[in-house]
Amino acid sequence: MNSQALIRVIAAREFLARIRTRVFAITTVLTVTGIGAYILLQAYVFNKSATSLDVGFVGTAQSISAPVRAEADALGETIIVHPSASLAAGTADLQSGTIDALVSGSGASTTLTTQSSVDPTLQTALNDQARQQVLTEYLTQHGLSPSDALGQLNFSVTVNELSPVNAARVEQIVIGLLVAGTLYVTMIIYGQLVAAGVIEEKSNRIVEILLATVRPWQLMLGKITGIGLVALVQVVLVAGVALVLASATKLVSIPTLSVDVVVSGIVWFVLGYLMYALLFAAAGSMVSRQEDVSAVALPVISVLVATWILALTVAAPDPGSIGTTVLSFIPVMSPVIMPVRIAAGVAPFWQVATSVVLVIATIFLFAAIAGRIYRNSVLRVGRRVTLSEAFGLAPSGKPVV
Amino acid sequence: MLELSHLTKRYGALEALHDLSFSVAPGEIFGFVGANGAGKTTTMRVVLGVLEADSGSVIWDGSPITFAARRRIGYIPEDRGLYPKMTVIAQLVYFAQLHGLRRKAAQEASSALLERLGLADRAKSQLQSLSHGNQQRVQLAAALVFSPDLLVLDEPFAGLDPVAVDSMTEVLRSEAAAGKPVVLSSHQLDIVERVCDRVGIINHGQMVASGTVDELTERGPLRFWVDAPAAGAGWYDSIRGTSLVEQDGSRWLLQLDDGADDQAVLRAALATGPVREFRRDRPALTQLFRDVMSGKAIDE
Repeated sequence: MNSQALIRVIAAREFLARIRTRVFAITTVLTVTGIGAYILLQAYVFNKSATSLDVGFVGTAQSISAPVRAEADALGETIIVHPSASLAAGTADLQSGTIDALVSGSGASTTLTTQSSVDPTLQTALNDQARQQVLTEYLTQHGLSPSDALGQLNFSVTVNELSPVNAARVEQIVIGLLVAGTLYVTMIIYGQLVAAGVIEEKSNRIVEILLATVRPWQLMLGKITGIGLVALVQVVLVAGVALVLASATKLVSIPTLSVDVVVSGIVWFVLGYLMYALLFAAAGSMVSRQEDVSAVALPVISVLVATWILALTVAAPDPGSIGTTVLSFIPVMSPVIMPVRIAAGVAPFWQVATSVVLVIATIFLFAAIAGRIYRNSVLRVGRRVTLSEAFGLAPSGKPVV
Repeated sequence: MLELSHLTKRYGALEALHDLSFSVAPGEIFGFVGANGAGKTTTMRVVLGVLEADSGSVIWDGSPITFAARRRIGYIPEDRGLYPKMTVIAQLVYFAQLHGLRRKAAQEASSALLERLGLADRAKSQLQSLSHGNQQRVQLAAALVFSPDLLVLDEPFAGLDPVAVDSMTEVLRSEAAAGKPVVLSSHQLDIVERVCDRVGIINHGQMVASGTVDELTERGPLRFWVDAPAAGAGWYDSIRGTSLVEQDGSRWLLQLDDGADDQAVLRAALATGPVREFRRDRPALTQLFRDVMSGKAIDE
């Protein structure tokens, strides 16, 4: 029986034993609900502002209905103009809900009436147009050409960026953090499951039977693969729900939640999980009781937590900064930091490719180290294994490869 | 044929095995007895290859044992070695697959074995819901499910009631009868005496005595129990080389020196009146074991 087949048998057991657990069901429901709620909230906010406003214009106010509509349109809001026969008729329409707002009067006496809240875009457009109306009248009275005078105002201020930043929008940053956060949480949860799984086998001596049959590295790899597949199912499920919801609600305002952000997120998850799961497996092999897992897993978890804090404090505020770029190249941090940069659209392809290569190299390095620690520790039951024993430097009780 | 040749193993200052050698022939059940920490589990782990000896070798069928050969060993570790939350059948199928059986063959072998061990109705139960005796039977099933060439069992009878001991004994006998060497360790010397063809007593990592139960128990001095109700004190004095070990009512335990005539003792006893019992006294394995542990030498 070749290694591949053995690892597949081991991985299948790990996968089936865990995918049926309550922990899996609960965490999956929670994450899917969380992501779904966020997207629906976004969709709600976006759709609300995207809905067209029905605005009634009474009498003289009708003269500014066209420019108000044009300006609102430029600001990204659709206004449907309803000419109202009289103030009374307009007010009745407003009360019955046929229209959302009613504009009456003209010039400085222009009045905007609404049922409860005022739409800020409509208010801005109305203010501008009423003021222009007043200004035109004033200029005409003083013998100046309104079109000449207003033509003078047809400019924008010049913008100079001393250190131009490919500014990411808030939405992009939120999406980036969402992806990074999902990966961070999943790596911590499933990494600890790997450690717990190693200790389970060690504490009830199954490992003795197993190691009489398979090589330590086959057992470790099978376990990491099986648990990783469970995590992958969860991540893909969450990503799938996010994509389906996003497209179902036609969230054009979140183009950042695109397929490539999601796919790259999954790739980063696989790499990050492998890297950390190896460390968690090695840590788990050094103790014999579940109570002791936190002590040995602490250094690994600390690195992950530190990475997440840096993602929040350094990467999120400015995904394009030098600091973020440097962090995204540190292999143990890349899987969390790089997705933030990718979502913000500030990660050139060559940088992503380079950090992927660095992470893969790190995985091989960790596999060698973890394999050695695991092999030297997993059969030592009782007290915690010392580092020199784990690295095979202590002379006594050398287990066979 | 399994041969252990001059195994030595140190854990720092502690010498767990010292020049340990023994062999187990096909079809033979070899019992390994010794106090806690004597080196039984260490020896078994060395055979299994989960531990490496500092020196010495394990020989299987004439050549040093390989990883492939070790994968053909059915092993029961000390304490439980199963997944508590897995079902019995899933567990067996898993171990069978790890030993190279294809899924379908693994399922068939597992079902058949559960049937044979009387566990068929518990196949779908989680292991942790089973009684200790049944869990130990599953442990045995896990060791047998891939039809091993050799059985290495560390304390297989621990915590079993007499009925469970009998059913496990029966299974082990039939495995041995199929030509497999069986090595087992136990604290329960009465069971070892009953089950094993040969016994090895290990103390401080050294084999202090080994042989068939008869061979071991014959090594002591020649002693006879004589129940002669009418005999008076000193009735045996006239027989050369005879001395009293103990007297229990009308029963006398006499020790005979080399060359002393046991038939002369019988005749002397009959001369006093009726003789109800005349029996060679064989020390139980337990007694032998105590002698070994207390440091009394047993001549090889």
